[in-house]
Order: sequence, then C-alpha cells, then structure tokens
Amino acid sequence: MLRGFLVLVLFFLLGEALQKVFLIPVSGGVLGMMLMTLTLMFKGGISDDLASASQGLISVLVLLIMPGVVGVFFTADQFAGQWLAVAAALLGGTFLSVLSTLWLMSRVVRLGGGKGE
Amino acid sequence: MARVNDWYSRLLSLPETLSASPALAIGLTFGAFFAGNAVFRRIGRPLWLPPVVLSAVLLAAVVALLGMDYKAYQQGAHWLTVLLGPATVALGIPLYQQMHHIRALWRPILVTLPIAATLAAVYALVIAWSLGATPEVLASLAPKSVTAPIAIGITQQLGGSVPLMMGGLLITGVVATLFVDLAARWLAISDDRILGFALGLNGHAVGTARAFEISPTAGAFASLGMGLTGVFTALILPLVFHL
Repeated sequence: MLRGFLVLVLFFLLGEALQKVFLIPVSGGVLGMMLMTLTLMFKGGISDDLASASQGLISVLVLLIMPGVVGVFFTADQFAGQWLAVAAALLGGTFLSVLSTLWLMSRVVRLGGGKGE
Repeated sequence: MARVNDWYSRLLSLPETLSASPALAIGLTFGAFFAGNAVFRRIGRPLWLPPVVLSAVLLAAVVALLGMDYKAYQQGAHWLTVLLGPATVALGIPLYQQMHHIRALWRPILVTLPIAATLAAVYALVIAWSLGATPEVLASLAPKSVTAPIAIGITQQLGGSVPLMMGGLLITGVVATLFVDLAARWLAISDDRILGFALGLNGHAVGTARAFEISPTAGAFASLGMGLTGVFTALILPLVFHL
C-alpha cells in the first residue's frame, strides 16, 4: 500500500516537474494521471500495491476537497447581490449541459461509433 | 479560585493555541467527513443531499463555533489538500483497467468531449452574465465542471475567487448527479458508459464518486470524462474567456 502510494507521489511530482519546466497550462496531477495510464498500458499490468493505494485515495477524494469547499461559508458576504446570478448559472447551466451531454453522446453512440456492445 | 479562572481562560483560548499545529484542522476535517457519512446513512442516503454537503456544513459550523479563524483552519488543512495531487494521479488506474471499454467508444468520446465541455462552461457564463454578474464572479463560475485541483489553477489564471469557485464546484457536482439520474430516465438511457461519462464531465469528483456507486465501468468513464474535461477546459477557457 505504501509502496503504491510512493508510485503515485512520484508520478505526481513528475507531472508537476513537466508542468513547471514546459509551462503546460494543465495541473501536475492531471499530467501525472495521463502518464500513469500510458505507463500501465505499456507495462500491461498493475501491482496489488498500486491498486490498493489508488483505491484508498479515490475513496477519500471527498475528504480531500472539503477544506476548499468550507471556504464558501466564510466568504459569502463578499458576493452579496450576486447570488441570484450564481444560483441560476449553476442550476440552469448544469441542467442544460447534462442534457446536452447525454443527448449528444447517446446520439453519436447510436450512429455507429460504439461497437462495444 | 484564581487558578480555576486561569484554567478557564486557557481552555477558552485552546482552539487558537491548538491551531498552531495542523493536527486540529485535520482532525476536524476527518471527524466531519465520518460524521457526514454517518448522518447520510442514518437519513436513508438521499440523492439530493450527498455526504460531502453534510460534512462541509458540519465542518463549517464546528469551525465557526470554536471561534477558529478560517485562515488558520485552511493552513492546517492544507496538509490534506496536498494529497489531492496523488489522488488525481490515482484516477489513472481505473482508467487503465477500463481501457477496453474506452477503446470501443473512442469515437463518440472524441466527438462529445469538446462540445459538451465547452457547453458546460458557456451555459453558466451566459446565464450569469445576462443576470449581471461581475467579471470576478464569472471567472469563478467558468471552471464549475472541472475537477478541483485543475479548477483552482484556472480560476486563479482568470482572476476569480477560489472559495466561490469551490462552492460553485460543489453545487455543480451535486446537481449534476441529480440531473443525470433524472435525465437518464427521461431520455431512456441505461448505458453505464454514457451515464458515467456525463457524470464525470459535468459533475467532476462528486459525479465520479456517484458513478463508482453505479458500476466500475461507469466509474472509469466518469474518471475519463473528468480528466479529459479538466485538460480540455484548462487549455480552452483562458482563450475563450478573454473574448
């Protein structure tokens, strides 16, 4: 498990290093994730250590974003008068974009792109 | 008597004294996380009130009750936020494990992603702008469907407020999860791959967590949708936003 965690941290650092050196506008975590997937595809297998470390971290993803989420309760008054716009944008915008995604993707899959099933 | 008063005053200043070390902030966050999950199970797992909201409200209430400075809390909890990087890397593993599904669907994914990821930002921007939102608010709303570690970078680049963005991110994740469930019923879609992709694309980590509850396949497609949306939005949004 710890060994797997070490691998994750190394890939993250590698991603961060690439991001800093080549000024890529994508976060180090995402670069690391892409590198991780590519490496596994090359290797063609995954160790138990890595599998359990990644499962452990993914299951507490919510815990990791909580410190940032809580901030909204403490900066609320800074945006007085904007709440209607914010709420409408979040609710309406998300509703429309969920519908668009589902409709578009099921359309494209049906048109013959998906040979999976 | 004087000594009891001393104890009492030192007791009252404990939150301040203890927040010099990150242990208090981390302990509170863990506690709220587990308590939120427990309450969630107790009230019958309602879809509209996911554990992350319960935990966040609990945590905010406790931090406020202790009279803790939010900045101090944030500094301590930073230790947890650091783990977000390796956790993002960890998403590459389900991605690899489901690669055969993704290969079979690469064409629809390639067509849907740029359109849907752009729309996810544009709908919200247009609605907020037409209701008179300030540029700072717009910059905070733009990455609302992007996973937190990437969204923080985007918001800072655009000049938005990170706490507002995080709140918007959370609400987006929750309502996207609800709307996907609703819309799947309307449109009669039961393909786990499509549902997962829509959850990850619109609802980032919250949607992805929900997708893993549906099935490992949905989870993998959600990880993919979340990852690709993050990359795509990080590249495109700074260009679009300045138009």
